[in-house]
Amino acid sequence: MTPLPEWLRPGFAPGAAAPRRRRGSLRPLRRALAALEAVLSMLVSDSRDDRRTGLLRNADPRAKLLAGVVLIVAATLLHGLATLGLCLALAVGLAAAGRVRPVRIAAVLGASLALTTLVMAPATLDVVTPGAPVLTVARPGGGSLGPFRLPATVAVTGAGLAVAARMLLRTSACVTLALVLAATSRPQELLTGLRALGVPQAFVMVLTMTERYLAVLLRAAQELHLARLARSIGGIGVRREEAWAAAGIGAVFRRTRTLADAVTLAMIARGFTGEVRLLRPPRWRRLDWLVVTAAALAAVALVAADRGLA
Amino acid sequence: MSGTGGETVFAVADASFAYPAQTPCLEGVSFAVARGERLALVGANGSGKSTLLHLLDGLYFPASGSVSYLGQPLSEAALEAAPFGPRFRADVGFLFQNSDAQLFCPTVEDELAFGPLQMGWRQDEVERRIADTLTMLEIGKLRDRAPASLSAGEKKRVALASLLVLAPSVLLLDEPTGGLDPRSQSLLLEILDGLHGRGITLITATHDLTLLPHLADRVLVLSEEHRLVVDGTPENVLADTGVLLAVNLIHAHAHRHGRLVHSHPHQHVVAHEHAHDDEPGHGHDRLGDRKEPER
Amino acid sequence: MHIPDGYLGPQTYLPAWGVMAPVWSWASARLKRTLRRRQLPMMALAAAFTFVVMMFNVPLPGGTSGHAVGSVLVAVLLGPWVAVVAVSVALAVQALLFGDGGITALAANCLTMAVIMPFAGWWTYGLLAGRAGSTPRRRALAAGIGGYVGVNAAALATGVLLGIQPLIAHDASGRPLYCPFGLAVAVPAMALPHLLAIGFVEAAVTGLGLAYLMRTEPDIPIAATPGPGNRPLRRLAATVAVLALLAPLGLIAAARLGAGTAWGEWSAGELSALAGRLPAGFGRLSSLWRAPLPDYGPPGAEASPMASQALWYGVSAALGIAAIVAVVLALRRLLAGKDSDDAAP
Repeated sequence: MTPLPEWLRPGFAPGAAAPRRRRGSLRPLRRALAALEAVLSMLVSDSRDDRRTGLLRNADPRAKLLAGVVLIVAATLLHGLATLGLCLALAVGLAAAGRVRPVRIAAVLGASLALTTLVMAPATLDVVTPGAPVLTVARPGGGSLGPFRLPATVAVTGAGLAVAARMLLRTSACVTLALVLAATSRPQELLTGLRALGVPQAFVMVLTMTERYLAVLLRAAQELHLARLARSIGGIGVRREEAWAAAGIGAVFRRTRTLADAVTLAMIARGFTGEVRLLRPPRWRRLDWLVVTAAALAAVALVAADRGLA
Repeated sequence: MSGTGGETVFAVADASFAYPAQTPCLEGVSFAVARGERLALVGANGSGKSTLLHLLDGLYFPASGSVSYLGQPLSEAALEAAPFGPRFRADVGFLFQNSDAQLFCPTVEDELAFGPLQMGWRQDEVERRIADTLTMLEIGKLRDRAPASLSAGEKKRVALASLLVLAPSVLLLDEPTGGLDPRSQSLLLEILDGLHGRGITLITATHDLTLLPHLADRVLVLSEEHRLVVDGTPENVLADTGVLLAVNLIHAHAHRHGRLVHSHPHQHVVAHEHAHDDEPGHGHDRLGDRKEPER
Repeated sequence: MHIPDGYLGPQTYLPAWGVMAPVWSWASARLKRTLRRRQLPMMALAAAFTFVVMMFNVPLPGGTSGHAVGSVLVAVLLGPWVAVVAVSVALAVQALLFGDGGITALAANCLTMAVIMPFAGWWTYGLLAGRAGSTPRRRALAAGIGGYVGVNAAALATGVLLGIQPLIAHDASGRPLYCPFGLAVAVPAMALPHLLAIGFVEAAVTGLGLAYLMRTEPDIPIAATPGPGNRPLRRLAATVAVLALLAPLGLIAAARLGAGTAWGEWSAGELSALAGRLPAGFGRLSSLWRAPLPDYGPPGAEASPMASQALWYGVSAALGIAAIVAVVLALRRLLAGKDSDDAAP
């Protein structure tokens, strides 16, 4: 073996310290890592799956999916604040019955409410939604600013508040219902359940296989991020960061292609004819029909009440 | 030259292969495999043993020469035609090195059902086979699990199960013990032993020489030049340290005892003991002035 | 750019499903023909790859960062039809399993990010680097520009989808039932951030990603861009597209100059006003056919502001062109048999 260089020993005095330069933050990198880990933990669960608990435990995922979609569609058909509030309450109730962790419900609802409030805030103003003013917010006093003509006053209108409230309730209800779906069934079951909605077999196969390999590629991306983190003191400038991201994406693509080739060979080796065939899924039981019927009835009742009240 | 005699399952005649626009990975390989044999393909990484398995399974086709199964040369046309194509796929199972690529279905149950359903078997027959195979490999509790949540050993067993459910008569295994912990490894070897007892032909590619006594009655050695250089029993092959060194399957190894350095051709098959005498083939040096190993 | 549930009314999201269903079928059938047994694993892994691309955090000058969609990169590497399926599947997985983007709005999101974006980007790439002798540098640059164009096309489409909500659905007092921001707000709100910032993230990911792959795998097969033989077709398509975009000018010019309806193209009302009476046959036959888009806009929109009328004019132009192209392609298929290999989708 060639002898080791002189400087490769513990405690060897380093050269002049590198000049202190302000380095960018590594926070975006850590945030991306956290997001990756969150997604991975959602996808890869161990045998102690906490998704099959609560009232909806025994229902077939197809029934749950059908019921969920029916209710979400109903939510998009509702216009009245009262019926929308009822719908939201129903959604939260279902989440609780499905033993979704309250922290998770709160997080999802909270995020949706916060974002929608932000987006809808301008809609409360009379410049967007005309109507009787309720609260004056600013007095630009007329005049003009460039090509724009400024109003005399800017105020929150009752109509604007109603519009914003409607959007808030509706988006929250939809988001919560989607959470119930995602949190009470395993990912694969949710995807295979799409057959019940009329999605063709071929597409369902692509969806399930995508979910199957998503964790593999995400782990590759996670490794890239961790490797970068382990060797970084700080940011390296926008250009280099972009180049790193592009190289990382390129590396994941290479992995994607080799994996796709390998899976193709594995499928051919097991006699894949190109046509997809699945085991016949179990027949629906009484509970499943009950779930779907209940959801349909609730949906019809909500819409009818909405139209009746409107 | 074949081993135990009996029906010839595979006949490889002067097969060569290269990926498009790359250096060749197999050069002029010829041998035959008899039914019920346990054959090991050994060679350093890159010697072409994995490629050879792919050729045997009709996943790639040789650029020159031929590969035949039960007398039928494997070609794209032959494998797409019934009845030979489907029968070949059921008869010959390939255990891939990368279990992730092999387990492509949503759950373990779906994975086991894939092959039979492609063959067009009836649902109740498929379910019966699945149940029996799960029991045989003691993976019944994994039935509804997703592949991503399995350990390496569990993945290997599920992958093997997905092949066994079709009742193959030949198994091609690509580095089957790679990445497995000792318990999973020994479990796998036990299963393979049982299959051999049933008369299933086993062809294993590996660079791990410790497996040879357990896995094979006959060993084919591939050189780094992608040629077949030795065809013999495990005992003979393991004793031929000259060849093993030449094909980079063992290394010339230096280790220290106190202030003395031993260097000799060495393989980590068994722990070895030796005295500090000057025996033929061993060299003793002091630290700092090593000589090349004597052979 | 993912539109959540509740922002689009069924009048918008249902037709989006109606549009996407045949597109998905067509893509799937076409890919089955070209990829055969490779189709399923290729689609699944391309979709997983797209999902991963969406998770990369790419920095921008000024301290912010953004995410790319990746549709154009997938289109350049694997072909636009693969991108249609892959991005659609990635969006579906995001919506169903992670609540990212709406479920009812899924088809609309696929329309913007899985159809408009990859094709706009891929056509741009083909226009700029389609010739066989393009250097890798030129290809990467073209891909980057394609990414920018594609994501902005998608952002524009998203802005339009959101902005037409107040026009389409109101309650009894005329207030919008869904997204309350009209075109004048929604379109700039979507378009400006993408033009000024997010578009560059997409450009960087697409261009630099392709450059990296071409460097590390010199013979990487990149999706075939239209060859020289299709230049005339490309030019024709580009010309028609530009004309369609300019069509509303006629409407605006006419209104500005105070010109009435073109001579001889009067409706029943206009004719009776001009001539003092209405011929009997005219009255009987004019009610025979109710056009879906009378006067090139939705029924009752004659009083809408010029901007939305102009938009509907453009939409009508697009729909009309699409209808004609569909009929011509169908005729071509019928007459020529099943052997044509059309490069232009």
